[in-house]
Formats: sequence, structure tokens, C-alpha cells
Amino acid sequence: MNSGTLQLDSQNRQNRWYCDTCVPESQTTVKGNMVATSPCKKYMLWIDGVGAWQLCVGESFVVGAPSFEKKSADIALLANISRMHASVEHSGEEWRLIAHQPTTVSGRTVKQDTVLCSGDEIQLDERVRLGFRIPSILSTSAIIDFESDHRPSHSVDGVILLADHCLLGPRRDHHICCTHWPDVVVLYSIDGKLRCRSKAALSINGQIAGDSFDLKHGCVVTGEELRFRVEQME
Amino acid sequence: MKFTFAPEARPLDGYTIKRAVHRGGFGEVYYALSDAGKEVALKLLNNNLDIELRGVRQCLNLKHPNLVTIFDIKQDSDNDHWVVMEFVSGRGLYEVLQDYPSGMPLEEILFWLGGITAGLSFLHDRGIVHRDLKPANVFQDPGGVKIGDVGLSKYISESCRSAQTQSVGTVYYMAPEVAKGRYGREVDVYAMGIMLYEMITGKVPFDGQTTAEILMKHLTAEPDLTCLPEEIRPVLSATLRKDPDQRTSSIEELERQFRNVVATADITAPVPLAKPGSAAAERPVERVRSMEAETVVDIDTESVQAAPAGVAALVALWSSIPAPLQWVVGGIVALLILESGTWLPVAVGGMIGGVAYLGYQLLSIFVGEPFSARSTPHQTAAPSPPVPARQQKTASPAATAAVRGNAVPARSVARNTRDRVYTPATLRKIAKTHRATDITTSISVSLAASALVTAAVFLATNLLKDSAQAVYFAAVTMLAAWALIIPSKIWEGRTGDSFTRRLCLGSLGLGVGFLAAVLPEYLLISHDSLFEGSYKGAPVLIGRVAVADGTGSPTVACFMMFFAALFSTRRWWWQVDSFRKARFRVSSALFTLVIGIVITGMLQNFSFPDALGATWALAISAVVQLSAGWTPAEDRTLSPAPALVPDQTPPRSVNPQVPLAKAEQASFN
Repeated sequence: MNSGTLQLDSQNRQNRWYCDTCVPESQTTVKGNMVATSPCKKYMLWIDGVGAWQLCVGESFVVGAPSFEKKSADIALLANISRMHASVEHSGEEWRLIAHQPTTVSGRTVKQDTVLCSGDEIQLDERVRLGFRIPSILSTSAIIDFESDHRPSHSVDGVILLADHCLLGPRRDHHICCTHWPDVVVLYSIDGKLRCRSKAALSINGQIAGDSFDLKHGCVVTGEELRFRVEQME
Repeated sequence: MKFTFAPEARPLDGYTIKRAVHRGGFGEVYYALSDAGKEVALKLLNNNLDIELRGVRQCLNLKHPNLVTIFDIKQDSDNDHWVVMEFVSGRGLYEVLQDYPSGMPLEEILFWLGGITAGLSFLHDRGIVHRDLKPANVFQDPGGVKIGDVGLSKYISESCRSAQTQSVGTVYYMAPEVAKGRYGREVDVYAMGIMLYEMITGKVPFDGQTTAEILMKHLTAEPDLTCLPEEIRPVLSATLRKDPDQRTSSIEELERQFRNVVATADITAPVPLAKPGSAAAERPVERVRSMEAETVVDIDTESVQAAPAGVAALVALWSSIPAPLQWVVGGIVALLILESGTWLPVAVGGMIGGVAYLGYQLLSIFVGEPFSARSTPHQTAAPSPPVPARQQKTASPAATAAVRGNAVPARSVARNTRDRVYTPATLRKIAKTHRATDITTSISVSLAASALVTAAVFLATNLLKDSAQAVYFAAVTMLAAWALIIPSKIWEGRTGDSFTRRLCLGSLGLGVGFLAAVLPEYLLISHDSLFEGSYKGAPVLIGRVAVADGTGSPTVACFMMFFAALFSTRRWWWQVDSFRKARFRVSSALFTLVIGIVITGMLQNFSFPDALGATWALAISAVVQLSAGWTPAEDRTLSPAPALVPDQTPPRSVNPQVPLAKAEQASFN
């Protein structure tokens, strides 16, 4: 077997690994209630010199433990919590948390659902703590930070819940703060496709790109001082 | 920021790179997944290979919860070395410090101090000193604090405490004795003291506008402790002592003292600001936080050995003098030279330097950066074309100039701190084709440069009486430049013993001297006219060789002695190297002139023409610098990169059909 085959095998294995952690679009019963699992699309953003971020595109996102039975949550944490512990939903300019299992938001027990505000701390069961913030006033997209040591099975710096735009740039109020980037890169979703827009001259997979372009699985976006790769997790 | 390997590259079998993490002083670090999904950090060792590998191998089997675990060292298909390490996902102390510009809470300080002390004392207990302790090398992890870059560690042994071949460290945290090449565990204690100071106050104790200034302060200035709570001052004062023997003896002792003090004192209490003009008012300005801490000072063997701390301090002192004052001092020295009567060579030197610089500027205007060894990709507006599997890395001009104590604005250093400092001492791979192109280009350019410099001498002085003498001067200058450029370019990027190189150049000097002696006969130039005014002494024989024949003309042996001495005294390969500080440095040419004056002075009694000899020295230096290929700092790279596109073309390791040399050549074009 040559090394090229090995590389393909490796990629296939990793894609399979990602697929194994995905939630199929379906209805799931939790404590007798029907819980709508999300048709969420998940991407990994591997950003050179910055980190790895999970980008979730959809209206509703399930938070829970990973499963080996193809029922993993959108935000799957290696933690002793339910596989569908809570959901975060986006409606208009508002974010709501629906608790399926014991959950508190900034110390308040959530009986059914509650509105999430930027700066809230979500606690799942007793030990899992997540931060919720909306860093930019230009966008309602939110970020889930891992406050406790509980994280997904691979290193992720945070999860971006995409409502409209995701800003990658040098400022602290950008969703992903890339301090050494000279320009802002905007990610957004149209018709189920993830797209990218920037004033900076970017190339995608080595080809000079226009002002905006589709981001497909495996594409590498490169600029003068930046580079990131997009992987679709489903 | 550019990194060598693109996402999904597999430089090592079994590991897939997902993203680049950062570029440190000793290599690039990538986040990678094994085929089974295990997260690792892969560190590509680009430079200081011997040091790094030696250190890493010593630490390969160390296990401690406060040290980043090293799993293995591997070699890729290009024979580059990789360190496979534990991936630490948490933030670095460096990042955490940014959240506390006025100082961290005590609880946080104690957390970091405890972790660092545990890791360091484990290392020290095993006879290993870290040597590069800094906030950028300390990380927070779910398991606690982790110290990284343990690969830089060095065994503490009495025999090698002062026998370092290279000094490596970070300027803000560098202990004074590092300038002498001394690395005991005290350097870690000192660095920890600086970090403690920074954690408490939010700023480092020794800051400055230039790297040299910071180094100078480490060597001579006392830290301003007035911004610390009073109870803490004695602890940090003892930790930051200049003399390692008087410093706090161990890292555990430092932690013990600190904990004892803070148990009774309130170190979070605000410290009153000092009045303007007082010592405290001169506390360092809060520096721009970036990966400035990555700035690495890299002193080569020769500099460390030949330039003891006193000389280094003088150099640093000179660099720290404001530019106007430097001109005043320079003027005084010039006056002294004029008074001493040796003004003619100096005047000629100034003329040659001025004409050479003017020529260089003109060439710059018409052809951009002339004769650069490599192209300047950053000047193009379009995005870098293909996403290379192996991209070239860049080094900043500021970072490059930051080496060897030169005046570089600290802010400039800050902006480019992740970049490596590249100097002629930097080991690197250079493709044969590139090396050959560089040599031939340099030789070609030396023709024009020799003509230019000779024209300056001819027009400005009466050393050369006619055009035949000018042709002779130009021919000898050019031959000498060739004899220096060719071997120096062959040595470029490689390790080599300074003595052997000097011996080699000295031998070539003998050859050039011989040609210089016999050439007048072929050009029908009268010796009397050429060497008019030379000292006519008695004949001097060394064995059977006539060094002086009493006719007033230098003998062949005398010529050979002059050029051999000139070639072997200067470190010419630094003037030729593509990674030299600037294409043309007047100071370097003037120093060569001084060497020339000294040598001709020694040969004066053997009828060697002093003015002509000194002028030759200066002219050769000018021609060599103007001709030799030079890479602008921002384009400096360590290893060339084939333009391969991931997802379309596999990396080199999996594509045997892409020849390395061809790919490397492509990257230069």
C-alpha cells in the first residue's frame, strides 16, 4: 500500500469518525416528549495560528453527550450528561435554551425554556459549564465557550452558532479573534450553502476567488496573512 | 503568517496536519491527528537543529504532569526532524497576561507559580535547565500548568556551563550571564523572577526601544521594584540579581519565599505612583503585548567566544546611543584620524563608499531590489497563488535586524515577533541550482561593481596615474572579490569551522597576491610609477624567500602576504551571505579599511604601498558587498517550497514523481 492510499484511508476514516458523531435529522423522544433534533449543518474551521472552531448552521442545536448509536448531539461534549441534554434555538434576534435535563442558566434553574443573553453561563447537570456570548453587535450569531474542562472528543476552541454572519478578524468583538489578520472575513449561509466574503484578496484551493464564494468541504482559503480550511462534519 | 505545511499534509506517516499552531524561535508547530484520531502537536525543527535535537533526546523519556510530554522524534522524507508532542489545548500564560494589563490576581499568580515550580524543579532535579522559560512557553491545561519547549533544555554540568556554542533565549527573560554563555539553573530562576514581576505588575521590568537596550538593561540596570508591594521587593530583588551566585538558589526557594510573603501581605493593594522624575516614574512603559516574547537572540559561536561580555556591552551601549550622538562621536573619531595623518585612505574610503552607495541606490531605483537572491512575493497585490503544501516562511526585517544588538524599534519587533531571526549563522538548505545561480550572478555583478569602485578611486585620488593602472586596480579588486565570493557562497547556510574557513581564504589570498604581483608586467605598467613613494629599505629574506628586495617595489612574496593576511583576518563570508543584515554596510567596509591600514602598516618596511593597500582593502569589501546576492529580510526562508496544491497534488512524501530539486527551483522562480 503506498502512502497516497494511506492518506485517502486516513481522510475516509476521519470523515467516518465525524459522521459517527452526527445526529440524523429526526424526532427523538426524551422523557416521553418529542424533541426535534436539528437539521443543523456542522463545519470545522481549522485556522492557522488561531485554533479550531466548530460552526453550526441551523435554527436549533442540541447539546449533549456523544453517542455511538448515531444519536450524538450537535454540540457533543465528553461529559456525564444526557445525549440530548438541552437545545439552543434561534428565533428572530432571540436565542432560547430548552432544557431536557437539569440545566441552569446563570444560576437560574430552567424548567422548560429561557431566553439566553450574552454573558450567560449554562450549567448542565452539576459540572458542565458553558459560556454563551454574542460578541458582535453587527450579528446575532452566538458563541458557546467551554468554561469547564468538558469538551468535544477533539480539540475545539469554541462553537459558533450561526444566525446570520460569522466574523473572523483581528478585533476582540469578532466571533473568532484572529489577531494577526489584516482584514475581516465574513462567513454566512445562503440556501443551505456556506459562503465567504471579504475585502481581502483571497484564494480558494489556490485559485483566486472573487468577493464572495462558496465554501465546500475540504476547501482551503488563503490570503496574504491568513489560511483556514473548512471541513463539513456531515 | 505563512507556514510550511498546508492543512491535510502528511509529512510524517500516520499523522495528518489539521492546522498550524504557531511559529516559535526553533520551529513551526502544527496540530495534527494520528490516523486513529489522537491529537498531537508536531514540531518541525528548522534551525538550531543540533541544540534542539540534543535537548529533546535528553528529555524524551521524562514524565511529569507539569511538562509537555514528548512522544517521539521522527524524520520525514526530506530528512527534516519532527518532534511529536502532547497537544496542549489550553491558553498560554502569555495570553492570560493580556487579560490582566495591570497585574493578575494573587490566586492566579500562585496557580501559575505552583505549576511552573513543580515542572522546573523536576527538570532541575534531573540536571536539566530549561533555558527558554517565558510566558509563551507555559500553558494552562485541564491537568494544570504545563511547561513547553523542554526540548531546549540543556544538561547542567560544570564542564559545559560556559562552553555554549550558541546562546538561545528570549530577550525579555534572558538572564545577564547568558551573554557569557553561562547556563545554570539560575537562568530559569531569573526568568521566573521576570515572569513573577510581569504577573504582578502587568509589565516586564526591563523594556526598551531596541533589543540591544533591553539586553543592556539586563546586564547593567537595576529593576524598578517600586511598583511592587513592599513585602515582595526583597524576594524579587534576590531573584533578579545580576550575579547568578548571589541569586535565589533554586526555584523551590523562590516559591517558598513568595508564598511566605504573600501569606502575610496584600500584594493586590494598589501601589502609589511615583512622582515625575523619580526612579519609579521611569518604569518601563507597558509594552505592546504580542508574541514579542518569541524574539530570540541567536549568537553564533564566534561572537560569543571572540566578543566577551565587555565587548558585547560596548556594542550594546553604542546601539543604545541616540543617532545624533552617534554622529557626534563619529565626527570626533574622524577628526582624530585626520589629526593622526592617515586621512588619505579614510578619504578614499569615504569616496568609494559614497559612490558605491549611490550606485546601489540608482540600481534600486531602476531595477527595484537589485540582484536579490530571491523574489519578493509580498510585493504582489494578488493573493498567493496556489495553496502550497509547503510554503516559504518569512522573516521580518525588524526581527532580522534585532539580532546582535542592533537598533530596531521595539514596536517593530513586536509586530513581527513570531518570525525567526535569520542571520548568516542560520543553517539552511540551499538548492544547488540556486546556489550556482547566486554565485554566477554575484560574479557578473562584481565586474560592474569593480569598475564603479575603480572609477571612484581614479577620479577622487591620484593613486592611479593612468588608465592602465586603473585597469590593473580593477582587475585585482575583481579577482579578490571572486576569490572571496565563490567559497563564501559555497559555505552559505552550512556549518563550518571559522579557523578552517580563514585558512582557506588565506590560501586563496596567496593566489590573488601572486596574480597582483605579476599582473603589472603583462599590463606593461611600470613598477616605479605604480609604487611611487614606497619605502626603500634593505633587502629582507625569510629563508630563501625575498620579502623585500630593496628596490622600492614590493616583491611577489610581499603581495602574497598582504592578500593572505587581508583574506584571513576578516570574516568575509558574513559580508557575502544572503542573510547579512544589509546589502551594503558602510561600517563593515570601514572596518575592512582599518584592517587594511594595519596590514599595510606592518608591511610598510617591505616596500608595500600603504595607501594602495588600504584602498584595495576597502574596494574589495565594497565590491564584495555590492556584488554578493542578498535576500531582503522579509523574504528570508529556511527551506524552499515546491508549489504543490493540497487536495490536488499529494505532498512530496507521497508523490515520488516530483523531484525535490525541481520543486525547490520552482519555489525560487
